[in-house]
Amino acid sequence: MPPDGSARPGVASKRTGPLGAPPATTAQAQGTAQPQAAFQTRGALYKFRRFLIRTGPAYLFILPAVSAMLLVHYIPMAGGILVAFKDINLFTVSRWYDAPWVGFANFVQGLDPGGFLGGRFWRALWNVSFFGAVTITAGYVIGMAVALLLNREFPGRTLVRGIILLPYITPDSVAYSVWRFIFQARIGLVNMWLMKLGIIDEPVIWLVGSNAIYAVMLAAIWKGWPFAALVLQAGLQTIPRELYESAMIDGASRWQRFRYITLPMLAPVTRILILVSILWNYNAFNQFYVMLGKDPGPAADVPSTLILRETFNTFNFGVGSAMSVVLMGVMLVLTMVYLRALRAAERGQA
Amino acid sequence: MRSASRWAAVAATAALVLALGAGAAMAQGTEITFWVMPNAADVIHVPWLDQKVEEFYRETGIRVRYEVIGWDQAWSRISTALITGEGVDVFQAGTTWNPQFAATGAVAEIDIDKFGGADAFMEANLISTTYKGKHYGVPWFAETRALFYNKDMFAAAGVEPPQTYEELVQVGKRITEVFGEGSAVAIAGTNAWDLIHNWAIILWAYGGDLVDAQARRATFNGPEGVQAMEYYVDLVRLGLASKATAEYNQPQADAAFINGNVAMAFMGPWNIADIEVENPSLNYGVVEPPAGPAGRAAFSGGSNLVILGASPNQAAAEEWIRFLLRHENLVSYTRDLSKMLPAKIDAFNDPYYETGVWQVFRRGLSYATAYPPLGVWGDIENAIVAEFRNILTAYVEGSLERQGGVKAFLNRAAQRVDEALARER
Repeated sequence: MPPDGSARPGVASKRTGPLGAPPATTAQAQGTAQPQAAFQTRGALYKFRRFLIRTGPAYLFILPAVSAMLLVHYIPMAGGILVAFKDINLFTVSRWYDAPWVGFANFVQGLDPGGFLGGRFWRALWNVSFFGAVTITAGYVIGMAVALLLNREFPGRTLVRGIILLPYITPDSVAYSVWRFIFQARIGLVNMWLMKLGIIDEPVIWLVGSNAIYAVMLAAIWKGWPFAALVLQAGLQTIPRELYESAMIDGASRWQRFRYITLPMLAPVTRILILVSILWNYNAFNQFYVMLGKDPGPAADVPSTLILRETFNTFNFGVGSAMSVVLMGVMLVLTMVYLRALRAAERGQA
Repeated sequence: MRSASRWAAVAATAALVLALGAGAAMAQGTEITFWVMPNAADVIHVPWLDQKVEEFYRETGIRVRYEVIGWDQAWSRISTALITGEGVDVFQAGTTWNPQFAATGAVAEIDIDKFGGADAFMEANLISTTYKGKHYGVPWFAETRALFYNKDMFAAAGVEPPQTYEELVQVGKRITEVFGEGSAVAIAGTNAWDLIHNWAIILWAYGGDLVDAQARRATFNGPEGVQAMEYYVDLVRLGLASKATAEYNQPQADAAFINGNVAMAFMGPWNIADIEVENPSLNYGVVEPPAGPAGRAAFSGGSNLVILGASPNQAAAEEWIRFLLRHENLVSYTRDLSKMLPAKIDAFNDPYYETGVWQVFRRGLSYATAYPPLGVWGDIENAIVAEFRNILTAYVEGSLERQGGVKAFLNRAAQRVDEALARER
């Protein structure tokens, strides 16, 4: 670029002010330099005002929801985290705000794998993970199969779609109470049929010890798959028919159509379904509490039952909160890992 | 459509305003809230309470709002009230709960002289209201468990009610020969929260105790404790109780006896009400709990009436307790409704308790023991019950010996109990 500034207009235009003003003669430029700067500051203000006018109402509208969430979710959660660092027990509970701070002592008591509570906590976490791995997988597979079947046209399809939701809409307390009866050793249907079929000679005790978690799993799968079916059915309906039609013209087999069209197209729905299932799973409580009682025993204990017992039976709120905080942390980490892994997998596919 | 919903909104607002107005009007007289457990079937319990509440209102002008709360929810409801200082003025508490509630500092201290003095109550129940020498509740009713037996099954097997724990096994074996495995005795298993009450009486009869006299150390893992625990497991091992017992809670065990399927059960006086409703034709008798090497022992339980410390209506609450403890009210409540025994001696001396099975419970109560009144009792009970459950679980899974036998489990429980006792202040 020549230093005298007598450049060709076309080139100079690229070097003009930040706002990309058209190239101007020197005289023009001198005349407009001052207003241009003023326009810039006014521009920021203007932008801010425009932002307020355009998005301000949006903030105003979500304000009630946000304050309600703060009030009923985040403030109590913060309180719960604070409690985890205080020595709140039987003797201090009625004046809990005066209870002494104890640092991480509650976490040590609740999480030390060598101690009684810590041992139970990690075992409970393992139990609920195992429980989730089996029930979520089974629920997904059954739900998918049923969703595929119900995606075909047949008379009475709407009725069947309603009927399969029955287990899901039955209240937990009712459904799991019935399952408890079904699994009872002396009068339960499971043992009755197993004995009639000659598979067992004497009644198996299902609801005590290491069998118990399998009994609960079966009941939970029975109760949980309709939800997967419902969500997947909704997902199936969004897949354009043309995709299948063109695949069929290309000679794709039934399996290929499922593998290369249905599954990938259901990926977003599946992702959400599995995510909420994992989150719900770590909070699993009703099925264990109703079928096995307050203390399901070490082999079937889950974090919720353990925390409830240790917190509310003996007023050891500090330790209970510490365990709850860690459980929440585990769920957050799991969610993050899961979402990242999915994103990575998607990028890999693309 | 739109105007209809607007009218609904107007009507709802109007109703709300009226309700608020009514609430304000009622607050002018004293009103107290009373939480009571389902001590009798609702069909007879609720009319009784309604009538007494009305009677009390006419007498004192104090309005009592009562709420019947199941035992399983009562603990958390009461805990919440203790922490928040709201929700209730007077509540019923199990005798073993009372010291723990007292330790929280959230229940009102009681001047027992306002309720007839310490001598007016059964000793074990009175002790259960104490914490560090002060009173935090008023005994309401007492109960103790005894051995119920099915007279028809006993006659068919040609046996007499057992007087000792040894005899119970002999009698049980004869019964199972006639009626089959598991037909001799109904016991509760892993699902029973009151498992410890049934074991404690065996432990005491064998000469053991749960904790030492100063409440410093656990003592139930000594030789007597092991013997008493082996005895409980033996009831299943020898086929006197069904293996399925392991999953039972106490009501399931009771039902097995009440239905007439099992010949013996350790039950309380409240079960008499169940029998009258469920199976009135059951031909049963009640005898004292059998004796062990150290003699007979019984568990003293029952319920107390407790006042919330933060209640602004202390005087009205005390008035209501005095009303419930009045001779005719207490006798009527225990005799006609709950089938418990009055914890007040003048009511207990009512001639009714000299008759029939009541003599048995009377004798049982004369030597019945209460647990020591400790703030950390809940931790202690949980520790023992948790390992008790593990023992029964290990037994039905066939791994009890592999895991070191009952001694290993009891040692583990004892260690936790020692830790809990160290926390008692």
